[in-house]
Amino acid sequence: MNKLFKTKLDAACIVLIPVCIGINYLGKLFASVLKLPLWLDGIGTCIGATLGGPIIGAIVGAANNIIYGLTTGDNITLIYALTSVGIGLAVGIMARLGFMETFLKALITSVVVGLVAVVISTPLNVLFWGGTTGNVWGDALFAATQSAGMPVFLGSLLDEVVVDVPDKIITLTIAFLVLKGLPTKLISMYNADEKIESLD
Amino acid sequence: MKSISLYVDNGTYLTKLHPYTKLLYVMTAIAVSVIIGNIWGFVIFIGLSLLALTSGKVLKKTFPLITFSFTIILVIFIIHGMFYHENENVLFQIWKLTFYKEGVLYATKIGLNVLNMLLAFAVFVLTTKPDILVEEMEKSGFSPKFGYVVSSVFQIIPEMTGTMNTIMDAQKSRGMETEGNLMTRAKAFLPLISPVVMSSLINTRERAIALEVRGFGVKRKKTYLREFKKQKQDWILMVVFLMAILASAVWKVIVCLL
Amino acid sequence: MSFIEVENLKYKYPHAENLALDDLSFFIERGEFIGIIGENGAGKSTLSQAFMGLVPHFYKGAYGGKIVVDGIEVKKSSVAELCQKVGLVFQNPFNQLSGAKDTVYHEIAFGLQNMGVPKEEMEKRIEDVLKLLDIEAYKDRNPFDLSGGQMQRVAIASVLVMRPEVMILDEPTSQLDPQGTEEVFKAVDTLTELGITIIMIEQKIEKMAAYCDRMLLMKEGKLIDFDTPVKILNRSDLADYGVKPLFVTNICKKYGVKKQDGLYPITLEEVLELKETYSDNLLFTDKEQLAVECHAKAVKTEAIEHKAYETIFNVTDLSFQYVENTPVLKNINLTLDNRPTAIIGQNGAGKTTLVKLLKGLLKPVNGTVFLKDTNIAEKTVATLAGQVGYVFQNPDDQIFKYSVLQEVMFGPLNIGMTPKEAEEKAMEALALVGLSDVKDRNPYDLELNERKMIAIASVVAMNPEVIILDEPTIAQDDKGREIIRTVIDKMHEEGKLVIAILHDMDFVEECFERIIVMAKGEILADGTAQEVFVEDDVLQKARVMRPYKMELYYQLWK
Repeated sequence: MNKLFKTKLDAACIVLIPVCIGINYLGKLFASVLKLPLWLDGIGTCIGATLGGPIIGAIVGAANNIIYGLTTGDNITLIYALTSVGIGLAVGIMARLGFMETFLKALITSVVVGLVAVVISTPLNVLFWGGTTGNVWGDALFAATQSAGMPVFLGSLLDEVVVDVPDKIITLTIAFLVLKGLPTKLISMYNADEKIESLD
Repeated sequence: MKSISLYVDNGTYLTKLHPYTKLLYVMTAIAVSVIIGNIWGFVIFIGLSLLALTSGKVLKKTFPLITFSFTIILVIFIIHGMFYHENENVLFQIWKLTFYKEGVLYATKIGLNVLNMLLAFAVFVLTTKPDILVEEMEKSGFSPKFGYVVSSVFQIIPEMTGTMNTIMDAQKSRGMETEGNLMTRAKAFLPLISPVVMSSLINTRERAIALEVRGFGVKRKKTYLREFKKQKQDWILMVVFLMAILASAVWKVIVCLL
Repeated sequence: MSFIEVENLKYKYPHAENLALDDLSFFIERGEFIGIIGENGAGKSTLSQAFMGLVPHFYKGAYGGKIVVDGIEVKKSSVAELCQKVGLVFQNPFNQLSGAKDTVYHEIAFGLQNMGVPKEEMEKRIEDVLKLLDIEAYKDRNPFDLSGGQMQRVAIASVLVMRPEVMILDEPTSQLDPQGTEEVFKAVDTLTELGITIIMIEQKIEKMAAYCDRMLLMKEGKLIDFDTPVKILNRSDLADYGVKPLFVTNICKKYGVKKQDGLYPITLEEVLELKETYSDNLLFTDKEQLAVECHAKAVKTEAIEHKAYETIFNVTDLSFQYVENTPVLKNINLTLDNRPTAIIGQNGAGKTTLVKLLKGLLKPVNGTVFLKDTNIAEKTVATLAGQVGYVFQNPDDQIFKYSVLQEVMFGPLNIGMTPKEAEEKAMEALALVGLSDVKDRNPYDLELNERKMIAIASVVAMNPEVIILDEPTIAQDDKGREIIRTVIDKMHEEGKLVIAILHDMDFVEECFERIIVMAKGEILADGTAQEVFVEDDVLQKARVMRPYKMELYYQLWK
């Protein structure tokens, strides 16, 4: 348990956090510049969580939404910080369990993370938006469930599954591809277990 | 450098209020209207926020912040107006679409709640300098490390987006297409995001060194150049806000008991 | 006891095979100015970071021996404690900013805040360093909006304000333009007057020769020599350690002009001082011969005379502006043939804008750019990629593949080469820049100077007709510069046009047949080194320096 959550909070890990938030922001920006039908705004959270562990991941997630709220004036995003924290924790734990090492394992992680996001976001969607997510395809599905007389909660859950799971699969795939290219020198900087050996 | 902060430095009384006072207003606006629970609660606070934004000369800056919510609110009206599970009484019909009273009422509440939250928050965001908020939070016990994270994001994001165009140019120079069908565009994503991710992660090492060199790890109480003391008006407003929350709670209890 | 004592210092980075520092022992006295020289990878930066405990506390790894700074043993102390005694400024001006402050004034305060210095004291100290380093005018600006030289001075101020007793400067000018370099060296002058101990790493040996009390020569983590600059720079085996022997020293050797201590001079001033002692020496009497030695006069060889040039670019009435009413280029008329061409001038002179227009990355506001018969404005950048190659200044703006070879093959594949052909071209290009051995490594595991080479190779491999290099020599040591010179020569031999933006004037003089001097969006001069570097007013207007080599001639025969 201890090993899963062990976290360094030195300067190296602290500076990682704003950079990861910047990556989130840039992912979203590039996706819109290239007109891709995806958000891709969680790549940094996944990278931060994999490198720094679940706690750093959670901090990146939370800080990301807080700052997004401060820069867009959208305080409802602040509430979705809970989802981001969940994503950060989930990726961090999966990574520490070795589930970011191969592409297949990363795929499993992405499904887990997608479901975590669904579980946290759905109640928030119902509470603040009456169950919609703001995504065309998801909301069309939601409308269909409502016209079929399904409860709001169930409809919203399906809406969220359709939207979040594919997005998380692609987000984690990209994060995995990026992480694979990181030099070992850098990765060891975030390693909480690194010690100084003696040459004397 | 283009700042991503929404703060408008116009020197009005709102900018001079302590960040905490404005934060407490946001909480009050949300809490009281939710506790009261009917449409009038929302309307009162939406009115108050609009008043504050007008007197703080930032009303114009507010609209871009809330426009994004309109499409979502519209979707909510359509979906719940037609399909809300408690729908019974027909309100009106357009073409073959039937809207129901219950659904429209439900959607109205959601819409007003969203609008109320956004406007109250706008009062805070448009008139508070992030730096000052962070410093005040540090002074009241938040870790300076947390403060660093928040302030540096405001600097790092413009810096990182600044490199975006260079990267686009560099990859185009090597014959990469960024326009065309979805597959071509999707294929361009990794060559564009990877360099900036890699280089900014690699740069974290130097930035971390720069922080260490400047005593980031020193375990002493931090000092500050700015003083932003709570004024008399801050105290008065804070008491008023807390009383409002308390009063609405008492009112709710009494209504329930009766 | 000495102020700084280093004893049997050994260090190995985590996951590394070789020692980065290999059994170093030496002493430094209080107030000395120490220069550390050697090729890239010699361990200079590692050593500099060991003085303040970043090695080993920040990097971890394996450590042996000890460093004692003013009685404090680094290994048993912490960076937090040592940063109050030792200050560090390094290459990249951007990364040294805390990144959390939006004015220069607050940026400088960052360290003091962390140390808990009271408000009044902070204000006083900040005002002092602002004046000292002449950056008062920018105190309310956002530090990220400053030029490299200004930023670097802010970095020095931010460290100096913490009142360190030792200041370590790790190539603070290596990523700056000449003006920025000049600004930073002026700041270094100020530091020397304060009497604090300075340890400086620098590739600009000419500058170091004038500053240092002692020089430390390193190679492969080992200390080769630690002595006065004149003794170090008189070593005949300097080139073996990646340090280019000074031109003044070499020429004095050739003419037999020695100082009283029997050593050859290492600065221009020293040469001038010897003028009277050696009044009969040919160095001071034979103007014609010296002009040839100093490349101050063109040596006309047959090869140059008979070479026929074909026009590649034709630029007419070209103007450009990013913002309305602030022209960046004013009515440029220019033809470029396949002579290697250097474009020089200060930052903001319009050099990069000009080459971006040649490449088609920008569209002219007025006028036309023709590449042979093609109007550049009518083509997209990607379709031109095969014809005009452009190596950006920062390699990290383009590298994204997992192996060096893959990275270099990306461009060739994009322009339609077969994988086999692309690999062949890539291997050729890698061989040219000396990176064949690391073709399967992760580019980001290599150092910045090597990544710059990868960027060059990745464009060379596309086999373009024109290759544009933006500041290729930045961060390169002497070996690196030699490699770039071979790349330029090779491209030229193949009939390609090489255009380079450069700040290293000696390199410009040695490698380029044609030099275009720019200032404020206009071309001030255009010709050979001998034609361009003669004109004092042009040099002054463009704020560029004469190559060291030619300067000697001009100082002696003004």
